[in-house]
Amino acid sequence: MGDQKKILIVEDEPDVMIYLNAIYEDNGYTTVQATDGIEGFNMAKSEKPDLISLDIAMPNQTGVRTYREYKQDPDLKDIPVIIITAVGDDFRRYLAKLKGFQKPEGFMNKPIDENRLLKMVADILAD
Amino acid sequence: MAPDNKVDRWIRDNLFNAVPIAIAVMDKEFNVVYANHSFEKMFGNWKNRKCYAVYKNQKEVCKECKALATLKDGIPRISEEAGYNKEGRLTRYIKQTFPIIENGDILFLVEMSIDITDTERIRKERQLLFDQVPCNVMLIDKDFRVVRTNKKIREMFGDIEGTYCYESLKGTSRKCADCTAHQTFKDGKTHTGRSIVKGKDGKDINFQVTTVPLDVGDGQFELVMEMAVDITEMVNLQEELEDAHAFMQSLITTSMAGIIAVDHVGDITILNPAARDIFNIVPSKLITMQELEYMLPEGFLNQINAGPGHVHLPETDVQTIDGINVPVRLVGFQLSRGKSPMGMAIFIHDLRELKQLETDKIEAERLAAVGQTVAGLAHGVKNLITGLDGGMYMLNSGMNQGKVERIQEGMEMLGRNIERISKFVKEFLSFSRGREIQAELCHPSDIAEDVVSIYKTKANNFGVELIFEKKGDIKPAPIEYESMHECLTNLVGNAIDACMTSEDNDKCHVWVRVYEDDTNAIIFEVVDDGCGMDYEVKKKVFTNFFTTKGLGGTGLGLLTTKKIIQEHGGKISMESRLGKGTTFRIRLPRKQLPKIIEHNDEPKN
Repeated sequence: MGDQKKILIVEDEPDVMIYLNAIYEDNGYTTVQATDGIEGFNMAKSEKPDLISLDIAMPNQTGVRTYREYKQDPDLKDIPVIIITAVGDDFRRYLAKLKGFQKPEGFMNKPIDENRLLKMVADILAD
Repeated sequence: MAPDNKVDRWIRDNLFNAVPIAIAVMDKEFNVVYANHSFEKMFGNWKNRKCYAVYKNQKEVCKECKALATLKDGIPRISEEAGYNKEGRLTRYIKQTFPIIENGDILFLVEMSIDITDTERIRKERQLLFDQVPCNVMLIDKDFRVVRTNKKIREMFGDIEGTYCYESLKGTSRKCADCTAHQTFKDGKTHTGRSIVKGKDGKDINFQVTTVPLDVGDGQFELVMEMAVDITEMVNLQEELEDAHAFMQSLITTSMAGIIAVDHVGDITILNPAARDIFNIVPSKLITMQELEYMLPEGFLNQINAGPGHVHLPETDVQTIDGINVPVRLVGFQLSRGKSPMGMAIFIHDLRELKQLETDKIEAERLAAVGQTVAGLAHGVKNLITGLDGGMYMLNSGMNQGKVERIQEGMEMLGRNIERISKFVKEFLSFSRGREIQAELCHPSDIAEDVVSIYKTKANNFGVELIFEKKGDIKPAPIEYESMHECLTNLVGNAIDACMTSEDNDKCHVWVRVYEDDTNAIIFEVVDDGCGMDYEVKKKVFTNFFTTKGLGGTGLGLLTTKKIIQEHGGKISMESRLGKGTTFRIRLPRKQLPKIIEHNDEPKN
């Protein structure tokens, strides 16, 4: 299976990490894992994943900044990002209003609907 | 007729020398040829001297010599002269010059001089007094015409002699209704009154006027002397004083603060409406010193009297006149002018409304916190559900795939998250309950020492040294022991965690310090030299559900700590440097600590 797509999971909750990892692996993706934003950023550069599954915990500047760092980096800006968050739709609207960088390719609220998540991943990677 | 002859002879032989008038006879060449004793007494030696030398100590004929004129036309003259007497002193005299004529020729001149030096001096002095006395003086006649004015009047009103006083001074065409001169003319007595006159610059000048009859010696008088003192400045000062008084009075009356003033003999001189309101005293009722003492905190008046400086009670209770407690702020101080005491003043700020607002605010803050918590709850719950979902997924997929390890992991995830939910709910309930704090007198250092002794062993096991430090003497304070214990436990727990997260954790320390600062605030400090926090973490430390501990924390610990500190009227602050350590400081000002709730010990059956 040489054409397996690689997903970088950035997630600081250990149980959610296990969960997402299992979902992705069970459905034919390889994963790499990072437990915070900085590690995730470095790993995205070294591993060149096909997709980033990014947990954003804070509904404020910090969360936006983490995301923006990916989208403003020339090496990383073309890697699609799915934001997975418990923060809610307010944050999605907030992100949508911001200008100057690519909007996230996917947005998923916790609790995770695994079928929807998998479809979203498959759709994005098919493009 | 013998007596007559004798008289005639006396007149002829002696009168010349006996008359108190200086008489000299001189010829046409101004030589004094004959003079009487009075002349000699006045001007000294005259024999073989020229008149101008004798009279005036001059060497030539005087420029305006009256004698020369009489020598020419033979007409007698009277003149006022100034010369020098035998002592060489300036002498004023009136001189009459008569010619002695025989057959149409003027043979000699007779000059008779009366010394008026003293009279003149007195006249001058009187004029000087009249002009220079620091008030306006004028004489007016029965028709109210100004007969004479002094210099001050002329300076103020110009030359008004000959005019009607009411016209030139007041610009009216009729004499004034309250004219004091009129009264003096009527009854011959001294009268005083006030008069307002327009000055040259059009401004009002206020005069205090006195009129006296100018008695010329026989009880009759034709003139009245009017003396007027300019009291404009005094009147202005008086008006300013009245204004200042009215201003102060309205400030006192409308002041939101209660104001009470007591004079030096103990009479209550000011009790403004705000004070009446606070003490429930009806508007017209006067109060006594005893009543005041009853209403104020015990010993407050004595404290003021002990002076110096003011006595300030930021939060205390007074009693209304009918014995109801009112929370107030009190300031009292002695009043004095120089060294002489004038009494005391007391300011009372009613704190009832403020207290109510404070209670309302705390309640509003609590409700807001609960609201935030509920909003945050959704966030927390979503993460917990995701954890449970993950557990379920692992369990199901493990069973489907027949992977025992995965089933095991799924079970553990479910267990962890269920435990987390239970802990979360417990802490949430504790945080969100509103309650009255149950403070009791306890030693602040005991709380800190107890927390340290409980955690010392645990800390040691993690390689962290937990140190208790007490500085100075700290008196007992009203604190809810268990809550404060919980706060310190939270902070110590965090500090130990910070040490364990630190990369260099084999020589980590946590200090728990307690002391009282110089503003009467009790300070607890929990200091660690652990990992410290970065800017992002620092910002979020006291917000709901923030945790850096993953599954280990609920994010409610510091929030609960903050809430307890606030309930004690205190504040918690934090300093942290990444990699250097963190200091949490709890500051509890004694005056804001909760009151100890009195438990009514009802007799038990």
